[in-house]
Formats: sequence, C-alpha cells, structure tokens
Amino acid sequence: MPHLRHVRIVSQEKLAERTYRLRLICPEIARVILPGQFLMLRLAGTNDPLLGRPFALYDTWGDDSSSPLGVDIVYLVVGSMTSRLCTVPAGSVVEVWGPLGRPLPAFSELEQVVLVAGGIGQTPFVAYTHWLLGSRGYGGQAARPQARRVLLYYGVRTAARLAGLTDFQTAGAQLYLASDDGSVGWHGSILDRLQAEQPAGPLIGCGPEPMLKALARLARQWQRPCWVSLETPMACGIGACFSCVTRIGTAHNWDYRRVCVDGPTFEAALWHDAFSEQGSDAPLGSTGA
Amino acid sequence: MIDLSVQLGRLHLRNPILVASGTAGYGRELADYVDMALLGGFIPKTVTRHPRPGNPPPRTVETACGLLNAIGLDNDGWDYFWQHHWPHLQTLPTAVILNIAGKSEDEFVELAADVARRGVGLAALELNLSCPNVAGGLDFATDAERTRRIVRRCREVCPNLPLIAKLTPNVTDITVIAAAAAEGGADAVSAVNTYLGMAIDWRQRRPRLGNVTGGLSGPAIKPLALRAVWAIARRRIIPVIGVGGIATMDDVMEFLVAGASAVQIGTANFYDPSVACRLIQDLPAAIAQLGTSRVRDVIGTLQTPE
Ligand SMILES: Cc1cc2nc3c(=O)[nH]c(=O)nc-3n(C[C@H](O)[C@H](O)[C@H](O)COP(=O)(O)OP(=O)(O)OC[C@H]3O[C@@H](n4cnc5c(N)ncnc54)[C@H](O)[C@@H]3O)c2cc1C
Ligand SMILES: Cc1cc2nc3c(=O)[nH]c(=O)nc-3n(C[C@H](O)[C@H](O)[C@H](O)COP(=O)(O)O)c2cc1C
Ligand code: FES
Repeated sequence: MPHLRHVRIVSQEKLAERTYRLRLICPEIARVILPGQFLMLRLAGTNDPLLGRPFALYDTWGDDSSSPLGVDIVYLVVGSMTSRLCTVPAGSVVEVWGPLGRPLPAFSELEQVVLVAGGIGQTPFVAYTHWLLGSRGYGGQAARPQARRVLLYYGVRTAARLAGLTDFQTAGAQLYLASDDGSVGWHGSILDRLQAEQPAGPLIGCGPEPMLKALARLARQWQRPCWVSLETPMACGIGACFSCVTRIGTAHNWDYRRVCVDGPTFEAALWHDAFSEQGSDAPLGSTGA
Repeated sequence: MIDLSVQLGRLHLRNPILVASGTAGYGRELADYVDMALLGGFIPKTVTRHPRPGNPPPRTVETACGLLNAIGLDNDGWDYFWQHHWPHLQTLPTAVILNIAGKSEDEFVELAADVARRGVGLAALELNLSCPNVAGGLDFATDAERTRRIVRRCREVCPNLPLIAKLTPNVTDITVIAAAAAEGGADAVSAVNTYLGMAIDWRQRRPRLGNVTGGLSGPAIKPLALRAVWAIARRRIIPVIGVGGIATMDDVMEFLVAGASAVQIGTANFYDPSVACRLIQDLPAAIAQLGTSRVRDVIGTLQTPE
C-alpha cells in the first residue's frame, strides 16, 4: 500500500555535472515498482519547498533482484528542491510515497525497441532496458525477455551531462549519443540523429516537451508505434489535485488527463499537444465559462 | 474516553476533521492513504452542472510555503458524477458532504433541488460560493445579498440537508458575508477558500499559471484563515468550519480554540496524504492537554485581552 514513508538515504553519488544518484532503502516499494513508475519525494522537516517532487525509478538495488532492498533515483539539480536534496547527507531521512503511475509498455518477442532520451529524461530507461532484455525482474516477477535489442538514443547539452553510461551498457543497451555542442557523439539534436539513422522498432521517448512533440510527429510520419513519458509539474502524484494534466485525444476530441494516474506514459498518437497548439481549439463539453 | 463529536447547526460529525473539496478527488484517489472509517467527513471535488475541462496548464505553482492553483473546476459534470462517483461515495464509511458550484443563482438552485432528490445518505451540502479561478467569476460570496439569496433558495429546495456556505476570503469583511449566509439559513460556513494571488517568471515576462492568477493555499495562508475564522466565531454569527493551511496538530487546535467547530484539511493532503487520519488519531491527546474530555469544550475558548 503506497502510503507516505520515512525512508533513509544510503548514499548520494555524483554521476555527472549537476547530476546525482540517490540510493534509498525501501524494500516495500522496491519489491513492487515497475520501470516507468515514479515516486514522490519530499524533504523532511521543512515547508519550503512544500510539495513533493516526482522522480522516476532509475533502478532497484540489492543482491537478489526478486527481493530488492531499495530504489535508486537519478536527478538533475535545477531548482528549489533538487538544490537542497543534493546537500542532504547519507543516513538522513526523506519522505517518499509510491510507486505511482503506470509502467512503460511491455512487449513480447520484439526484435528491437528504440528508446529516445533527452537530458535527464534518460532516468526511466536503465530499469526499462533490463526489463525489456530480461536481465532483471521487477515487481516480484521473474526476468523475461521482451525484446532482443534495445537501442538508446541519448542526447545531452554537452558531454559533462552524460550520466549512467555504464549502467546502460551493463543493462545491455546499444548507445547512440548526441550533444548540442558536439562534445560527444553526433553534433546536434538526438532527434536529428534518429531521423538520419531511422532505426526499426517502436519508439519510446522521455525528455523535454519540445523533443517529445517532435518525436510524436516523427512517429506519426513514419507510422511507427510510439509512447512518450511526460514530466508535467505535479503537486500530489496521486490524482488528487488535477494539476498535472495534459491533453489526450478522446473519441470525439480531447480532454485533460492527469499524467500522474493516467500516465506518465501515453501513446504518442493520443497526445493532443504534440499535434496542435495549446488553446487553439476547444474540447468537447466546453461550456465556454 | 475523549468525546470528539461536534455539532454544526443540524450537522453532526463524529469528529471535527474533514478533507477539503478539490484536494482529495472523489474518494478513490486517497483510498490507499486515508482510512475513511476514521475521517470526520469527506468532501469531494466541486461538481458543476456541465462538464468543465478546467484551465490550461500550468495549473499549480509552488510559492513560499504555499501553493497557487488555478484548476478551474475541472470536472466531468453532474450526470457523470451521479453515475460514476456517487455509487462509490455512498459506500464510504464517513460523512460525505457534496460540494457544488453553479454558474448562476438559478443553476445553484437547480442543482440543490436535484441533490434533494438524489443525495440519499449525504451528510450535508456545501455550496462553493467562492471559486476564484473561473472566468466570469464564480465567487458569489463577495456579495452579501447574493450570498443570502442563494443560500435561502437552496435551503428552500433542499430543506432536509444541512447546508454549508463556503466563503471566499477575498472580501473586505468576511463577517458580513457569514452573517448573510446565516440569515439565508445556512447551518455553517466554511472559511476559507483560497486567497487570490499570482506568480511571475520575470525573465520570460510571463505569468507562471496558465490562468494568469490563481488561489493561494497551504501553510502560507494559515494565519490569514485563522483570523477570518476567529472574526466570524467571536461574533457567534454561525458555526464555522476552519480551512486554510492546516497541516499539524497545533494548527487544528489553534483553529478550534479560535472558534472553528470543525476543520478541513486541503493542500496538506497533497504533500502528506495520510495527514488527516494522523491528526484524528492524535486529537484526543491534544484535547486532554487542555484538561477536558470533549472537543466541544475547546471550541471558541480563546482568551483575548479586554
Ligand atoms: C513522472 C515524473 C518523473 C520525473 N523524474 C525525474 C527524474 O528521474 N529525475 C529528475 O531530475 N527529475 C525528474 N522529474 C522532474 C522533477 O520532479 C522536478 O520537477 C525537478 O527535479 C525540479 O524540481 P526542483 O524543485 O529542483 O525545481 P523547481 O524549483 O520546482 O523548478 C525549477 C525550474 O524548473 C522548471 N521545472 C520544474 N519541473 C519541471 C518539469 N517537470 N518540466 C519542465 N520544467 C520544469 C520550473 O518551471 C522552474 O522554472 C520528473 C517529473 C515527473 C513528472
Ligand atoms: C488544487 C486545489 C483545488 C481546489 N479545488 C477546490 C474545489 O474544487 N472546490 C472547493 O470548494 N475548494 C477547492 N479548493 C480550496 C480548498 O478546499 C481550500 O478551501 C483551500 O485550499 C484552503 O485550504 P488549504 O490551505 O488547507 O488548502 C482547492 C484548493 C486547491 C489547492
Ligand atoms: S499530481 Fe495531483 S493529480 Fe496529478
């Protein structure tokens, strides 16, 4: 049952520029969480920042993957919560609730899956690679291969931001890198590289919204199955506040859906924001009030 | 044994701690975190006549110890509510208080009349006269005369349910509005809804909320809400349900001493989803600290200098 827990930090490790891996002891969560799900994490003993922040499962840890001891999350220092989090020492306690949201899509007997990550959007893809290739089980289930190959297209601003490459390699992903400044991999955006190389297989993206919109449109053009994992700001993570909404296509038009409970991963073809500008059309049932 | 029960007009509650409308969904969302069998009452998110998509995102932004929101009464409308949410709400082992908002006085009355027909088992009806986040303005409770009229007409068409008017703090003198609600026949008022506010990203020269302005809630507004509750309670105008920034046992006790007969937990549900039940479990010990065995003996016992 996903109630609020006080969870101890085992370690904080710097993985890249402004990027840290936080290791938490929480066997109850670790045993049930699936790749693509997330946790809400809040600093204990303060009202500023007030709200928890959502963080994707990076991976579970512990000797035996069928009963892991805890979870890792990987975060980029951007604002009020993360700039404090990176100063919290090992041994301290943070408040955590989860697992939340729906997992990334599962497949069976696929030849190849293409993951597309922009910046810190890479975080759900280590566990997902393990899950797809069957090198690790999650949620108390035995490992089961779902795909033969996982390609990770991973774009960063600059080489110093690349995080977790060895984790991806250990998981078995084939890496295709790009950087805005050309300091590593392809010089340019990861979408440009993807477009140039056109690897086969379903596309699954996580990263900045403009990148995900471009990916969704590309997938439509290629008539390729595609999912996007969204990172809308969340106040509660459990469906109570209706703040995390995005526009999702319905039988008639579109409706706001809560990313925390109906997502965070959506079929890209249903993600209305990717195919129209915000506010340019009214939903069905709009009262105009 | 500490007696936690409270009476607000015709509304009897087994304990004074409820969860506030719009902060706990329709009962399913908090199911894993909140033991409904403990709660004093549950108030689902505001329901309107027609489905409302709500405001464009971003709908919330965090500010210092507070939360600005402009959800815009996102809900699937009246028929959907009765079909999909009401059957579940009916099974909850707690007092369920329906919260409604009309676009006009007549719509309030129409909805209240329908509640009288369909809401068998409801503990009370709360009129949201105070949503700040809707274009055209649904904050009817900025006007005493309109407040009195809506409450009176709703009471006429829904005579058998205790009636609560939820008030906005965005007025010069909330006691005038509370008095109007009392004259209209309300059993209690909920004070307060959110305080109008805004947040700006100056680098982009843009508002941080999709709706430009929003309503402030959370610990940041607690002193403001506390004063509003006290102002109404000290004049013994009408029983008050305190709402605004309540998150700890101290907060609950302060509101009770100030004169609230019950409290609602709002924003705190978002960052501490089990908070309401924890407070209920801790309440008897806090009451006992004041040397009494009844919550009712604590309400409105603030001692001020003459
Ligand atoms: C499902 C989900 C999973 C996530 N997983 C991770 C993760 O694994 N690792 C990680 O580092 N972060 C993740 N995030 C984002 C994270 O929750 C926080 O938003 C982020 O860490 C910023 O928090 P902060 O308090 O430091 O910054 P804040 O002070 O809240 O914000 C700083 C600035 O960043 C902007 N900002 C904040 N959040 C977002 C966002 N989601 N998208 C775009 N701009 C934003 C704000 O507008 C503000 O200008 C995830 C978000 C979601 C919804
Ligand atoms: C995200 C959010 C949504 C809300 N939605 C509603 C609503 O639908 N109806 C209502 O009457 N009040 C609504 N409120 C107001 C709360 O019920 C409460 O009156 C207010 O937030 C102050 O209490 P708090 O500081 O404990 O949150 C909402 C508040 C928030 C933060
Ligand atoms: S974050 Fe509160 S409903 Fe999604």
